[in-house]
Amino acid sequence: MAKVLEGPGMGLMKKWGINVPNYVVVTSVDELTKLGQANEWFKKSKLVVKAHEALGSRFKLGLVKVDLDFKAAEAAAKEMIGRQVGSITVAQVIVSEMIPHKEEYYCAVKSTREGTEILVANCGGIEVESNWERVKRLCLEIGQSPSPESLEKLSKDAGFTGALAKKMAEFSGKMFACFDNEDAQYLEVNPVVLRASDGELVALDAVTLLDGDAKFRHPDWNFAFAAEFGRAYSKQEVDVMAVDSKIKGSVKFIEIPGGDTAMLPAGGGASVYYSDAVVARGGKLANYAEYSGDPPDWAVEVLTEKVCSLPGIKNIIVGGAIANFTDVKKTFGGIINGFRKAKSEGKLKGVKIWVRRGGPREKEGLDAMRALKDEGFDINVFDRNTPLTDIVDKALQAK
Amino acid sequence: MSILANKDTRVVIQGGQAGVNAARRMAEFCYLIKRPLNVEAFVYPPDAGKTNEIPYGSGLIAIPVYKSIADATKTHPSINTSLVYIGADRAMKGGMEALDDSHIKVVSMITEGVPEKDAKVLGAHARKLGKVFNGPSSIGIISAGACRLGVIGGAFDNLVLSKLYREGSFGVITKSGGLSNEIIWICSQFADGITTAIGIGGDAYPGTDYVSYLEMFENDPQTKAVVIVGEMGGDLEERAAEWYGAKQRRVKLIAVVSGFCQESLPKGMKFGHAGAKEGLKGEGSARSKSDALKKSGALVPATFGALGPAIKEIYQALLKSGQVKEPVEPATLPKLPKTVEEAMKADEVMVAPLIRTTISDDRGDEPCYDGYPASELINKGYEIPHVIGLLWDKRLISKQEAEIIKRIMMLSADHGPCVSGAYATILAACAGIGLSQSVAAGMIMIGPRFGGAVTDAGRFFKYAVDNKMSVDEFLAYMKKNHGPVPGIGHRVKSLRNPDKRVKELVGYVKSLKIKTPCLDFALEVEKITSVKKDNLILNVDGTMAAVLVDIGFPVDSLNGFFILSRTIGLIGHWVDQKRQDSRLIRLFDYLVNYAAPKRREVPPLK
Repeated sequence: MAKVLEGPGMGLMKKWGINVPNYVVVTSVDELTKLGQANEWFKKSKLVVKAHEALGSRFKLGLVKVDLDFKAAEAAAKEMIGRQVGSITVAQVIVSEMIPHKEEYYCAVKSTREGTEILVANCGGIEVESNWERVKRLCLEIGQSPSPESLEKLSKDAGFTGALAKKMAEFSGKMFACFDNEDAQYLEVNPVVLRASDGELVALDAVTLLDGDAKFRHPDWNFAFAAEFGRAYSKQEVDVMAVDSKIKGSVKFIEIPGGDTAMLPAGGGASVYYSDAVVARGGKLANYAEYSGDPPDWAVEVLTEKVCSLPGIKNIIVGGAIANFTDVKKTFGGIINGFRKAKSEGKLKGVKIWVRRGGPREKEGLDAMRALKDEGFDINVFDRNTPLTDIVDKALQAK
Repeated sequence: MSILANKDTRVVIQGGQAGVNAARRMAEFCYLIKRPLNVEAFVYPPDAGKTNEIPYGSGLIAIPVYKSIADATKTHPSINTSLVYIGADRAMKGGMEALDDSHIKVVSMITEGVPEKDAKVLGAHARKLGKVFNGPSSIGIISAGACRLGVIGGAFDNLVLSKLYREGSFGVITKSGGLSNEIIWICSQFADGITTAIGIGGDAYPGTDYVSYLEMFENDPQTKAVVIVGEMGGDLEERAAEWYGAKQRRVKLIAVVSGFCQESLPKGMKFGHAGAKEGLKGEGSARSKSDALKKSGALVPATFGALGPAIKEIYQALLKSGQVKEPVEPATLPKLPKTVEEAMKADEVMVAPLIRTTISDDRGDEPCYDGYPASELINKGYEIPHVIGLLWDKRLISKQEAEIIKRIMMLSADHGPCVSGAYATILAACAGIGLSQSVAAGMIMIGPRFGGAVTDAGRFFKYAVDNKMSVDEFLAYMKKNHGPVPGIGHRVKSLRNPDKRVKELVGYVKSLKIKTPCLDFALEVEKITSVKKDNLILNVDGTMAAVLVDIGFPVDSLNGFFILSRTIGLIGHWVDQKRQDSRLIRLFDYLVNYAAPKRREVPPLK
């Protein structure tokens, strides 16, 4: 699942005939000033300026400013660009026109196991969240497209009447077309507003989640996906993502500030059980990590270096189930190189390492890990006879 | 008994190298359970018409590769299952092709990163046809003692340790490929092992869900209990709970779910497989899944570590009630033949080496010449003559000796286009022949009359010096036993027109004030022979030979110095002709003395 920021999200909607407000994404005030001279709408409408970053609670942070004239918009952009919020710097702002309106509605399309659901409500904004029962849905089977009649019925069921019912049916039809053709997993427009000037429905704010796995058939997806957890990816995370995109198999890394138990487990499934075990034992995760699919040893080495560089860690959990085809000796070779490098850089002081693993060449791999003891590592190595997550119990008891 | 994969399962594998690797693993399992290989065919258009060689025991089985599923099932009508190892961008098409073939009833897709929309369409299409579509991102399916589809089960040793050679009583369904082996292993250690284990894949919408497989297990009398390894996200676990709680079920259900750590993570942060995404209002969370499963009557251990004891508890109850009996282990199991390398590592075989080398070793991260790493030689200032010393004479020569060799090479690198070697190379180059063959053509000329006298010259000068012969004795000995003295005499150079190369080399070596008995002797020989005939001078071959013997090089290596040096020139001549795009050379007839008999009549054949 891949989140898309507002700018590219609105671009995709526009592509499928959905009305969106005029907008620009800029990286400097200078750029905005020039665009302001070239485009009429900046002067004709009131403007909204928002930080165009994967940040939660932008309103509270003062990173959304509304009802501005162009001068005020320039001032707001100047104030926002370059502002430091936690680990990220605001690099872009999106400036869009305000759409004068009275009514707000809701429309969404989401993927379900059975097919697709189109959701419509004749209320929007925060009102829809507290009146969820007013959301009506049209369920479509896999491969099925909605008929104009079924969309009109949905719109009427949701309480739209007359010409507006027809407009909402058309709007939701375009939403479906965008969803279906763009390999979206979730599209939500809240609110959909009735533009006072011409009585057309306009998508004012949108959430766009695309299927990152389908990127190969969308050459026009020229935008980066945004982190989904209300902050931008850190440099370390981006480094690992760059490695991940290059290799057979995978390596994953997400930092969790403030934790003291570092994770370096194998497997998308086992890694979460290891994380659960840490939390269940009252430990604090310093990161999430995972390698799987028999990745090359150098990729595992890069991941190991990132894990060893996490601040304030006391334990590293090198866990893993009994692998199917990941070569334990080879992948452990990458981890061992990473450990050695970290140690030579003065890291890993007072850090205990806990290893559990099985799979192809497990004996050789585990023996190589055990040998690290002689190099002065505080390392404890267990084989398949120790249950999966017992090393977490041992690690967190060993304080 | 088992589900999905059994002794009648015949497989086509769609895909290239990953598919071949899977077939190898499958062959290991077939060998363990003493059954023929269950892979009948591959479908991989780039290799259509070829075969893939799959090791089985100590032999190899050739499995044909076809262009399409239809071609494969036409020739192998017993195929009923397809494994898809095609890349994510083409997986949909391949999966559809398999589903649409009337022979195929089960399609298991191993491909990861398949778009969600494609997976949903494939699943729906299979349901419409009444077939099974398993995956994507499935690690495979294995039925103990009967059939393995994919790499699930891991290496051969693990198959044995996990007792996959015979049936147990536990069914396994996991999203995680990596955990499938763990659960199979746990079932074999805490109970009697598995019937069938299925990896359904960690994507959001697997083609077949827990409920469909639970139904199959419910109808398989051998399966007494099913272990589900769930994950946060989606509602498959809730649906399984719903199925289990709906009525009294014959199979026992044991389930674990991951993702509790989510509760203490920053909002929105999600880990694990693609399917691990939480819905609105906590639906799809580990907590809600775990609660639903508990409520349905399933046994839900608090942690993954408690899974083993929970399985044991159920197994003990099954034993007690007589529903299962303690399994009887076979007395012997086939052992996978080791490769020669593995057997040698384990000190089980001794192999007589085919060749022996005493000069270099390439087995490390860089070549070592007579034990010295090449990079270290470079970094410590050694040069090409030293490498020659190491590889030809197994010793680190001195700086002075290296300088002599360098000068010898520089003096004999080339001698113009007219000499036999260069001329042959040029002829070949003009005939459009490639570099190595053209240089080889020049090389072939090196022999007793051109460039190849160095070794012999060295050998005879050394013989004379070693036997303390006088020049007269030596010349008499040569005349009696061998003929002209190698290294003496030149086609064009003479006493009055001396060879500057010889002068240069002799002058340099003499200036070093080292002992040069061979060179001294050769110069003495020249004094006598050149009086007899003024072109019987010490030539460059003879000079090189004497000097190289004096600095200790073995006689047999001496021609090598000329061959090596002249190679530089020969390459130069080839490149030069190539650069000029020279035309084919043909000899003019006026350059030939036609001494053959005049034209005459051919007599009748007798």
